[in-house]
Amino acid sequence: MPNRISTIAKQTFKTALNNRATLALTLLLGLSLGLATYVGWQNFKTQNNQRLHYKELVRAQWLAKPDKHPHRMAHYGYLAFREKHELSFFDFGIESFAGVSIFLEAHKQNTVNFSEAGFSNGMLRFGEISVAMVLQLLVPLLIFFLGYNSISAERESGTLKILLCQNVSWKQLLWGKTLGIIGVCLSIFIPLMLLTILLWASLSHWQISADASLRLMVLVFSYAIYFFIVSAVTVLVSAFARSSKSALTTLLACWIFFMVIMPRITQAIGVKIYPSPSKVAFADAIATDIHKQGDSHNPDDPHYAAIKDSLLKTYGVTDVKKLPFNYGGYIMAEGEKITSKIYSNHQKELNKIFEKQNSITKVAGFINPYLSLKHISMAITAADFDTFIDFQNQAEAYRYQLAQKMNKLQIDKISNIAPGEEEKPLAISKANWAEQPDFNYQFGKLSSVITNELLALSALTCWLLATVMLLQYTTRWIKTI
Amino acid sequence: MLLITGFASLYFGKTFIANQQAVIEKAAMLQKKNTLSNIDHFGKDIGLLFYHNKFSLANAPNAWAAFANGQRDINPYLISVTMLGLEGQIYDTDINNPVSLLLGNMDLSFVFIFLFPLVIIAFSYNLLSEQKESGVWSLLRAQTNQSFQVIWQKFLVRVAVIFSVALFLLFVTILYLHLPVDFIFFSITALIMFYLTFWFAVSFFIISLAKSSNFNASALVAVWVLICIVIPASLNLFLTRKYPMPEALQHVINQREGYHEKWDMAKEVTMKPFFEHYPQLKQYPFPQEKTFSWFWYYAMQQMGDDQAVASRRAIENKLAARQRFTNTFAFFFPTIQTQLGINNMAGSDLNAHLDFQQAVRKYHEKIRLHFYPSIFLNKAVDSTDIKDYKLEKYSPQQRPSVWVNLLSISILTVILIGTTAFNFKRQ
Repeated sequence: MPNRISTIAKQTFKTALNNRATLALTLLLGLSLGLATYVGWQNFKTQNNQRLHYKELVRAQWLAKPDKHPHRMAHYGYLAFREKHELSFFDFGIESFAGVSIFLEAHKQNTVNFSEAGFSNGMLRFGEISVAMVLQLLVPLLIFFLGYNSISAERESGTLKILLCQNVSWKQLLWGKTLGIIGVCLSIFIPLMLLTILLWASLSHWQISADASLRLMVLVFSYAIYFFIVSAVTVLVSAFARSSKSALTTLLACWIFFMVIMPRITQAIGVKIYPSPSKVAFADAIATDIHKQGDSHNPDDPHYAAIKDSLLKTYGVTDVKKLPFNYGGYIMAEGEKITSKIYSNHQKELNKIFEKQNSITKVAGFINPYLSLKHISMAITAADFDTFIDFQNQAEAYRYQLAQKMNKLQIDKISNIAPGEEEKPLAISKANWAEQPDFNYQFGKLSSVITNELLALSALTCWLLATVMLLQYTTRWIKTI
Repeated sequence: MLLITGFASLYFGKTFIANQQAVIEKAAMLQKKNTLSNIDHFGKDIGLLFYHNKFSLANAPNAWAAFANGQRDINPYLISVTMLGLEGQIYDTDINNPVSLLLGNMDLSFVFIFLFPLVIIAFSYNLLSEQKESGVWSLLRAQTNQSFQVIWQKFLVRVAVIFSVALFLLFVTILYLHLPVDFIFFSITALIMFYLTFWFAVSFFIISLAKSSNFNASALVAVWVLICIVIPASLNLFLTRKYPMPEALQHVINQREGYHEKWDMAKEVTMKPFFEHYPQLKQYPFPQEKTFSWFWYYAMQQMGDDQAVASRRAIENKLAARQRFTNTFAFFFPTIQTQLGINNMAGSDLNAHLDFQQAVRKYHEKIRLHFYPSIFLNKAVDSTDIKDYKLEKYSPQQRPSVWVNLLSISILTVILIGTTAFNFKRQ
């Protein structure tokens, strides 16, 4: 019995490729995929090399700074650059829409600037040709063109009756057709994945980590499942449609609605339901909270009076100038601790709002497998929203640590007696700068990706089960004539 | 269906712009409040006050920006800067959800550029082939030798329907967004009409090849996918490959170094080029002996900007090169051409933002030169007119035009119509 399925599958496969139009389409798609892979890989190398170059430059400049007051170094700050994951050449995700560099300085939190989108004049909004885009958006179109008449053509030409009379069951027919169509897809997909693996390995300089390999495996699996779902849907629509023409129109309408229109609508709804604050409102909320706590640049600030009194008592002196450490630095360290905490809280809430905005599109994945796959693909290639938030968090942690390190250097090594207006400023040796490590961004592990994308993964699984069940059990409702 | 999506997109577009306007109003209020609060906290030290105090310039959305959001969601429309180095502040982004940016805006220009062609395709793909497949065509040809006219009339009916829906939507847009019927309105209407005509020409051309309905549908959808998604996206890929922007990162580094290194150098190194840039400030006594003075500090900040002028020009040149690339290819692809034209008219494209940035630079200089004397002479804060400063609105000076866009689309349309007529004559 499985023989029949494979026979039908093979026959479907052969007819599909014999048809000149579909063959041309398949080849065209394959070629554009190859091109997309190659250019994506090149883009990755250029962009990442750029960022690495500037990362080294910033580090060299930091270490080369001469002897000076550590607080000057805290204001000089650091420039952190968002690195790309090797797999992101496969799926660009939000890469082009998120900033690339962030200035980390004391007292102040800045934005991540210079996204590719900021340099674009609108052509970017038509879409980006990445391997993922072709696989998610264009291969389904190919599948629709391949399979819209898989059952309906047989019905219209009368061969369907003959097949069924020859003891071929509906189940075998449906499964056979589905597998045949997938066969055509796989003939593009498999060579492509091999090419991807090769390029990815070369990008990681042939040092392949277990995490990245696992990511790649989950990626291949998810896309294979997606192709199965789409193929099954195509064959089912063809079986249930009244004619080949209506099957085609239905499938094309579905493609247009689910893949072009729906993502924008669900996101627009999400943004409307959960509005995010503007930058001025956000900054104002933070500033209000901070002003309640006082200004750390001013050692006489009344809010810090309590700290001052307790210090005077502990060290048994009457004036802060007599303390054995740099009082100004101590107060600034306290101030930095307070302001950073306030800022982090606000940032967390802001990110929660963004996540709620995105949740509508995520939930819509249950009716739209394209959206689920999109989320999974972006998450695995570390080009998604969660990775960006992670970068922001790591950058903020580094900034805080840098500011506090400089404060500590000031507390320990700078005299508590301020120099006069015309005296040289106090300074410490430049050898201290090397104690501040470089900013090294660490990508998350696959396990955190899976936890974050549980919703999308379960949606895709639901779709898989649903299509399998439909293929198996709905055959009684299909018209034969 | 078009009407439903049309109204939905109008609603979202208007909300988007209404948000921006509300934010600008709020920012105006906040600027006043913050200025007073800053005077309260830092009023004793004028240099410190201007270290903290922000001045805002807003790029108020043009009425048409609700129709075509363009790049307004990516580029900040409100820039607030202190008197310190501008190049380190002017590129700060707004708070955006990158996923929303990725998926794109639901505005009316999206409906016109992406969805209307699909409806045109749906209406007309089986115009001729349906007749053929149902056998009516042979009957028709037998009965009259004006069969072409029949087809043409059917076609015209569809054209009329689509155009009236389009005009109706535009009419509703005017009412809903309170737009004046002016040059911009006529430009945009013309663009859209030409664009829709182009798509009718494409459909008519494919029909004239006299193939089956299925072929027509597939071919037309393939064309749609090609010129609405694949080709613009591929062109964008080549664009980013040919014109990457390392200049931006270099610029940030230049500005940062240009300012910070001055702390470790003799004051002369800062003041000499500063006075060359602004000779009128030489009249104010410079406290050479003081280790730190606000005079020196603000001069250092300016040096950061001055030393980054070359990298700023480099960025501008790169962006201009990119624009030329886009414009050249847009000539061949009406989808890109129309979107660029509409964004241009609605003031929501990159060029509008670059002009806005230039305005911010001018405003920044104006403020600095106005307040420098008070700072350098260490006057009391109350002697300045800082309390009179409020949020300023920027209005673009140039009137954009879309003649090139209209021209290229019409040329392509004419070519298509010509080929179609030729095809039909052959039959």
